[in-house]
Amino acid sequence: MTILGTAFGMAFYLLHSVSGESGYAQNGDLEDAEPDDYSFSCYSQLEVNGSQHSLTCALDDPDVNSTNLEFEICGALLEVNCLNLNKLQDMYFIRTKKFLLIGDSEICVKLGQKSITCKIMNIVKIVKPEPPFDLRVVYREGANDFLVTFNTSHLKKIYVKDLLHDVAYRQEKNENNWMNVNLSSTKLALLQRKLQSGAMYEVKVRSIPDGNYFEGYWSAWSPSYHFRTPETNGTGKMDPVLQTVSILSFFSVALLVILTCVLWKKRIKPIVWPNLPDHKKTLEQLCKKPKKNLNVSFNPESFLDCQIHKVDGIQARDEVENFLQGTFPPPLEESEKQKLVGGVQGTSWPSEHAVLTPETFRGDSPLRCLPGNVRACNIHELPSSRSPNCRDDGKNWSRVYQGLLLSPGTTNGALLPPFPFQSEIVTLNPVPQGQPILTSLGSSQEEAYVTMSSFSKISEL
Amino acid sequence: MITLAYSYLMLDLVSFRYIFGIPPLILVLLPAASSDCDIEGRKGNEYEKVLMISINRLDNVIEIGSNCPTNESNFLKKHSCDDNKEAMFLYRAARKLKQFLKMNISEDFNLHLLIVSEGTLKLLNCTGKVKERKAPSQGEGQPIKNLEENKLLKEQKKWNDLCFLRRLLEKMKTCWNKILRGAKDP
Repeated sequence: MTILGTAFGMAFYLLHSVSGESGYAQNGDLEDAEPDDYSFSCYSQLEVNGSQHSLTCALDDPDVNSTNLEFEICGALLEVNCLNLNKLQDMYFIRTKKFLLIGDSEICVKLGQKSITCKIMNIVKIVKPEPPFDLRVVYREGANDFLVTFNTSHLKKIYVKDLLHDVAYRQEKNENNWMNVNLSSTKLALLQRKLQSGAMYEVKVRSIPDGNYFEGYWSAWSPSYHFRTPETNGTGKMDPVLQTVSILSFFSVALLVILTCVLWKKRIKPIVWPNLPDHKKTLEQLCKKPKKNLNVSFNPESFLDCQIHKVDGIQARDEVENFLQGTFPPPLEESEKQKLVGGVQGTSWPSEHAVLTPETFRGDSPLRCLPGNVRACNIHELPSSRSPNCRDDGKNWSRVYQGLLLSPGTTNGALLPPFPFQSEIVTLNPVPQGQPILTSLGSSQEEAYVTMSSFSKISEL
Repeated sequence: MITLAYSYLMLDLVSFRYIFGIPPLILVLLPAASSDCDIEGRKGNEYEKVLMISINRLDNVIEIGSNCPTNESNFLKKHSCDDNKEAMFLYRAARKLKQFLKMNISEDFNLHLLIVSEGTLKLLNCTGKVKERKAPSQGEGQPIKNLEENKLLKEQKKWNDLCFLRRLLEKMKTCWNKILRGAKDP
């Protein structure tokens, strides 16, 4: 009996256990139940409280029953092998100084003593910085920009000091149209010309480790800052002084252009681009015109009615030197003066006339005018324009002979001519009419100027 | 018969020698041939971003000035950062650092001491075990004359230990720089 009972008990027990292993369940949902997704993610924050670090983990699926779940980290710890995380609502959290910060750690989800899922993580590769704070925007009128500044607690930390910041700004009416700027410092300048004038803007900033050993995730956004850009009038407000100066400059330039156009032909062009002068016309203009009926011309045809005496040569006379030593002829009497004048007039004037040139003497050269023969004399009163008009020569030549007459009566000192040339004797010969006058009163010394007669040449007689 | 017995005896002696003679010899020679360390932190990031920070913090905590004795300690006389022995030196130095935890200067001090020690060992990844000689105790068996002398002795010992620690940290920094320089200029 005993043996029989034992056998039945064993059979029943075996039947029970076999039925359990074959999948029979009291609860029919277990067969179709999918395994829970215990995947998770973690991030670390270094020196979050003094020298303490933190590790925060959370299940990816919030619907998972996490009643008895635990998180454990092992490896890369100081003094201990493993640490358990504390549950805080839906997250698992630990704050400790015992992170070695070198090497990998293993983080496991445990249910009781059994590890459900594990991940190998490096604490320094899942760093999430603290969000920046104290964000401000200041408008700089001189620079025409907006200076964005903010602060971060990582500037005072010893491990995660170097961060990359992301500044995002947008016009408030344009939702989801954010502009991003990356920078490693805590200051940023936004140019005014790149922003809409008179608009309201919103700006915020976040941080991430720079990737040089410490890596991780973006921090949370900082609190937003709102600012308004100043209004601008059209193209912008101009300085009134600058405005006045620009208007005056415009009108000045316009006036200058008008005056240039008006005065170009008469005033400006002759100065800027003068015409080449015709020497004949120029001399005609330069020469003083005689008072009456005097024809000043270089046209030989104008002298057709004049008798021209050709001058063959000029001879120097020694007795001129003796003249200066006091042998002045006595002053002529009136009758002799009249004779002289008449003699002059009685000659074949105007067939003969003297071609006199202003001449100079030596320092002590005497001066002597003899009647009957026109010689080189001091011709102070020689008219500047020796008119070839022979009809009125009488008057002019009387002036000449007055000079001649006066010269012997003067003292030696007065006789000295102003020109330092040698005395000369002009030999006159009648020249057929129509012949141009050829005179070349060259002296032994070089003449410093060109005489009037040198403009025309003696044609072959 | 006697010859056979003699031959068996000789064979046993030879076997005995090989069985009981050579293995001890191998065991004696084994420590000198082992201790293979593979330096993982040759790039310098771990040293620059973690270890150097903790070494500098320890230097700031020590603050003993320049009144340390000039004579070198026995440890540094015995171990140095010679060529091809850098890893071994760092390994021994890292293990030596743990002895200073007993000083209990401060929590921050202990923290950084551990970071330097454990971090160095982590980066070296030495496979062989090196037996450290136990530091000879100073005067443990001697009778204490009075409290003041004891206090003075403790102070002196602390001073000497800090000087030795500072010197040791300097040697470790120098050795790490030598390793990193060698990694940059092969």
